[in-house]
Amino acid sequence: MENQVLSIRGMTCAACAQRIERTVRKLSGIGQASVNFASEKLFVEYDTAALELPTIKEAVHKIGYEVVESTNKANVTIPIGGMTCAACAQRLEKVIGKLDGVTNVSVNLATEKAAVIYEPKKVRVSVMKNAIEKSGYKALEIVGSDAADEDRARKQKELRTLWTKFAISAVFSLPLLYIAMVPMLTWVQLPFPAGLDPMAYPLIYALLELILVIPVIGVGYKFYTVGFKALIQRSPNMDSLIAIGTSAAVLYSIWNTWQIATGGFGAVEALYFETAGVIITLILLGKSLEAASKGRTSEAIKKLMGLAPKTAIITQDGAEKEIPIEEVEIGDVIVVKPGAKIPVDGTVVDGHTSVDESMLTGESMPVDKKTGDAVYAASLNTTGTVQFRAEKIGSDTALAQIIKLVEDAQGSKAPIAQMADIVSGYFVPIVCAIALAVGIAWYFGSGGDIEFALTIFISILVIACPCALGLATPTAIMVGTGKGAENGILIKGGEALETAHKINTIVFDKTGTITEGKPTVTDVLTTEGADADNLLQITASAEKKSEHPLGQAIVLGAQDKSLELLKVDRFDSITGRGIEAQIGGKTILAGNHKLMDERNIVLTALETDSDKLAEEGKTPMYVAIDGRLAGIIAVADVMKASSKAAIASLHNMGIEVAMITGDNKKTAAAIAKQVRIDRILAEVLPQDKSNEVKKLQQEGRKVAMVGDGINDAPALAQADIGIAIGSGTDVAMESADIVLMRSDLMDVPTAINLSKRTIRNIKQNLFWAFGYNVVGIPIAAGVLYLFGGPLLNPIFAAAAMSLSSVSVLTNALRLKRFKAAHNNVPVNSSNFTEYEERKAA
Amino acid sequence: MKKKLISVLLICAAAIVAFSFSACSGLKSLDVVGKESITSFSALLDAVGDKVTPDDTNGGWSLSAPDDTARFIWSKDYGKSPLHDVMLELDAQPFIGAGLDTSKLPDNIVFYEGDTMGGMGSKMLMVGTKLGNDELKYSGNPTPLASYEQIVSKYRDVISYHAALDHYGVNLGDGNLFEWAKDMSKNDKDIVFVLNPQAFIDAGVNVNAVEGWAFAKVPVDVDGKPAEVDKLLKPFDLK
Repeated sequence: MENQVLSIRGMTCAACAQRIERTVRKLSGIGQASVNFASEKLFVEYDTAALELPTIKEAVHKIGYEVVESTNKANVTIPIGGMTCAACAQRLEKVIGKLDGVTNVSVNLATEKAAVIYEPKKVRVSVMKNAIEKSGYKALEIVGSDAADEDRARKQKELRTLWTKFAISAVFSLPLLYIAMVPMLTWVQLPFPAGLDPMAYPLIYALLELILVIPVIGVGYKFYTVGFKALIQRSPNMDSLIAIGTSAAVLYSIWNTWQIATGGFGAVEALYFETAGVIITLILLGKSLEAASKGRTSEAIKKLMGLAPKTAIITQDGAEKEIPIEEVEIGDVIVVKPGAKIPVDGTVVDGHTSVDESMLTGESMPVDKKTGDAVYAASLNTTGTVQFRAEKIGSDTALAQIIKLVEDAQGSKAPIAQMADIVSGYFVPIVCAIALAVGIAWYFGSGGDIEFALTIFISILVIACPCALGLATPTAIMVGTGKGAENGILIKGGEALETAHKINTIVFDKTGTITEGKPTVTDVLTTEGADADNLLQITASAEKKSEHPLGQAIVLGAQDKSLELLKVDRFDSITGRGIEAQIGGKTILAGNHKLMDERNIVLTALETDSDKLAEEGKTPMYVAIDGRLAGIIAVADVMKASSKAAIASLHNMGIEVAMITGDNKKTAAAIAKQVRIDRILAEVLPQDKSNEVKKLQQEGRKVAMVGDGINDAPALAQADIGIAIGSGTDVAMESADIVLMRSDLMDVPTAINLSKRTIRNIKQNLFWAFGYNVVGIPIAAGVLYLFGGPLLNPIFAAAAMSLSSVSVLTNALRLKRFKAAHNNVPVNSSNFTEYEERKAA
Repeated sequence: MKKKLISVLLICAAAIVAFSFSACSGLKSLDVVGKESITSFSALLDAVGDKVTPDDTNGGWSLSAPDDTARFIWSKDYGKSPLHDVMLELDAQPFIGAGLDTSKLPDNIVFYEGDTMGGMGSKMLMVGTKLGNDELKYSGNPTPLASYEQIVSKYRDVISYHAALDHYGVNLGDGNLFEWAKDMSKNDKDIVFVLNPQAFIDAGVNVNAVEGWAFAKVPVDVDGKPAEVDKLLKPFDLK
C-alpha cells in the first residue's frame, strides 16, 4: 500500500469533499481516502499493484475537480549563525529571495532559522547556504527534530562562546575603563600608578589603552566583519552601527596617539579607546544575556524534543534487543516496561497498561491501553508491560508532528510584526544619516569642536537599537506558542495567535465538543403494536454501517441488550437527515423530522412524545418501517464536565457563545440552557455550518469555530479562527488554526487568554522598543544638552542599548508565568448574570 | 574559536606584561614628555642666553628672570647641594610689602638676607625640594642642559606637562613649580615662576597685593586629574 497526498481545486463545500471521497473509495485497490476541505487535499492510501495514481487523478477529474500537479516545491529550514538584529534577518531574506527558484523565504531572528520554499530543480540548498555565507553569516548544518541534541549543543556552545568573549573583553575593558576614568574623577581618590600619569607619560598612557583595547576589538571582530560587509552591500545592520561608532572612536584615538608620539601631548585628553572597548564589552554582555533569554523562549520546544527516548527494546527472534531509536522500523514489535517511555507511535499487540500521555496532551489522568489501542511516542508507560507494533517512526510520529507544528508556528510572523519589520528595514540607514547630520551640525555649532561632535556621532550610532525592534514580536510568539504547547494548545502561527485575541463570538459544535460525543440510548418509544426491543434491533442493524455517533449509539444500545444484529441488504446514508436500509425485504428509515417529512411519514402518533424528549435535551430519532412510523429512539449525549465552566469563562471575557448543531431546536435549546449558550444555531446541516459562521461574520463579528476538525472542516476554515478540539489527528491539525490536544473545553478560554496575553506582551515590547529609540536617539543627539541638560556618554548609550534588548526579552519571558485556566473558573449564576447585564448595557 | 580566543588572550597578556616591564624600567623612547622637555629646555637656555649662570652657592645652575626678581636653580650634583636640588630664589620684598611675617613661613620656604643679585634686594625667599643625594656623573663637563637631563633621567616624576598652558614644568614640591613653554614661538608665557599661595597666605600675605606677582586660578592636573587651583604667578614673555 502506498500513501499519497494530492492537492484538489474546485471544491466549494464539504459536500464536494465527500463526493470526491466517495468517488475515490469506489476505485478498486483503494485502502483509504479522505479529503480535507480546509487544506484542499486528498489523502489516499492505495495498492500500487491494483491501481495507479493517474487513475485516481482521472476519477477526480471526471467528477469536475482538478488535481493540481505537484509544483515540485520543497521546504527547507536552514539554521543560521551570526545574525544580530532584525536588519540581518531582512538582509538574508533579500539575499535568499533573490535566488532563482526560491519561492518564499522567511528568516526568523529569534529562532535563527531561514524557512525557505524552493524548487529543487532550480536551486540547491548548497547554493542558498553559499549565499548566506557570502553575506557574512554562517549557514549551519540543517538539523531535523531528531537531531535536537546537536541543535541544543550548538546553541549552548554559541552561548558559551559569547560568555567567553564577554569575559575576555571585560578582563581588558575594566582596567581600560579604570585608567581612563580615574584621572577624570576629581571627587574620589582612587589609587593610580604615577608611571601612567597621562600628563607626565602621555604616550605610555595612550599605548597602554591601545594595547588593552586590541583584544576587546579582537573578540568583537564579528561586529566589524559583518557590519562593514553589510555596509558595503548597502544594507547596514546593528553591527554596522557598532562598527562605525567604535571604529570612529578607535581611529580618532590612534590619530591622537600619533599626535602624542610626535609631541602633541594635549591629544592625551582626546583618547576614546575606553569608549570603544566598553561599548563592545557591553554589547557582548547584552548579546550573551539575549542569547540566554532567547534560549529560554524556545524551552518549550526543547522540552518536547527531549521527551522521546533514545532507544527502544524490540523483540527479534524471540529475544529482546535494545536498539537506537533511529533503527526502529515500521512493523517492529517493541516491548515497553513499566516506567519506560513509548519510543514510537504504534498499536498495542499484547498486554495491558496505563499510559501517561500528559506530556503530549496535558491530560494528567493516565489512559488505559489494551490490545488494539494506539500508543504515542514519548508517553510514559506506568503500570504493565506491553508490546506494540511500530506504525509511525521518525518525523511521522505525533510528537514529531507536534514539534514541527510548534516550530512552524514559532517561525511564523504575526501581522503585528509587519510594522516592526518595515521600520527595521529603514532604521539603520536612517540612524547613520541622523548621526552624520547631527555630528556635522554640532561640529559647526560648537565652533569646530571635533571631539564634541564625535561624542554625539558615536552616541547616536551606539544607542540606536534595531535588535529590540526585531525581537519584540517573535520572542513573544515563541514563548506564547511554546506555553500553549506545554498546555496541550497547539497554535499554528503568529497570525492565528494574533487573530484569536480579537474573537468576540465563539461557535461550538455540539456533539463531541460541548458534549462527550458518546451518546447513549435513553428511550425507545413505539407506536401501537410494535415491540421496543424489536425496533431497537432493526434500527441498530440498519445503523450498523453508519459512522454517525447517533447511529453508533443505537448499535451500542442493541449490543447492551444482547440483541443480535440482522443482515442488511442495502444501506444509504442521507447526509443531515439519517439513513435508509433494506433488511429482510423491509425498508427502514431512521432519522430526523426532515427525513420523515420528505418521505411523507405521518408522525402525529408520537409528536408529543418527541417534543417532550427534545425539551429534555434528548435527540429523538424517528424510525419508520415500510413507510409507516414504528417508533422513536431517543439518544442523549453527556455534557462534558468542563463545558459549563468554559462557557462561563468566555462570558467573563465578554465573548458571545453560540452552539451549532443538526439537532432540532427544542433539543438544542434544552442543551443550550444547561450550559448557558447565548445563541443557538439548530437544525443546521453539516454543509451549512460554514454559512452560519459566515452570517455571524457578516454581522461584523470575529468568529471562532470550535469543532472536532473533520466534520466541521468547512466551518473551521470559514471562521476567523478554527479550533479543533480533542484530536491529534493529521486532518484536525491541518484544518484548524488552533489544535487543542485534550477534549477539555477549558482550553478554549485558555487559548483566547493566551492570545490576549501574548498580543499585549508584543504591544508592550514594541512600545518599549520604539519608545527607547524615540527617546534615546534625541538624548544622544544632544537635545537635552542644547537646553542645559547633560550630554550622553557613548558608554552609557551602549549600556542602554544592550539593556533595551534584554528588557524586551525579559518582558517576553514573563509570558512563561502564564497559567492555564483549567477548572479555576467558578461556575455560578453570577457569571452569567454579570455577562447578561454587560451585554444589555 | 576557543583556541583563537585563548591565543588572542595570551598574546595580549604577554604584550601587556612586556609593556609594563618596559614602562616600569623607564623605556626612554616612550617617555615623550621627558625627551621632548630636554629639547624644549635646551631651546629655553638658548633663548635666555646669559641669564643662565653657574650658581656655586647652591651647587648648580641659575636661570634668572628677565627682571632678575626670581631665579630657577637646579643642582649639578645632588650629593653636594647644600639645601635643595631644584628651587626658586625670589625677591622677598614684594611679599613683605604685602604683609609677609617671615617667622610664620613653613620649613620648605627659607627667608634670608644676603648679597643683592641683579634686580633682587637683599631679602630673599628660597622655595625648593631635595631630590636625592646621588653623586651625579657626566660624560664630559657638566653643563646646564646636562644637569637638567640628569633630573629627567633620575627623577623623571618631577617633570610634567601642563596641557592648559602647553608648558613643561619642574615640580618643586608643595605645588610650587618652574614652567616653560613647550614651543616659545606659540606661547606668550615663555617662563613662569609658580608658587602655591597657601603658605604665604598663612604667613600673612595679601596675595592680591604682591607686587610683580599675579594671583589666579589655574587649570592644572593633580595626579593626572584636572583641577583648578589658586596660584601666584610670575610669567615672562622672552620675545
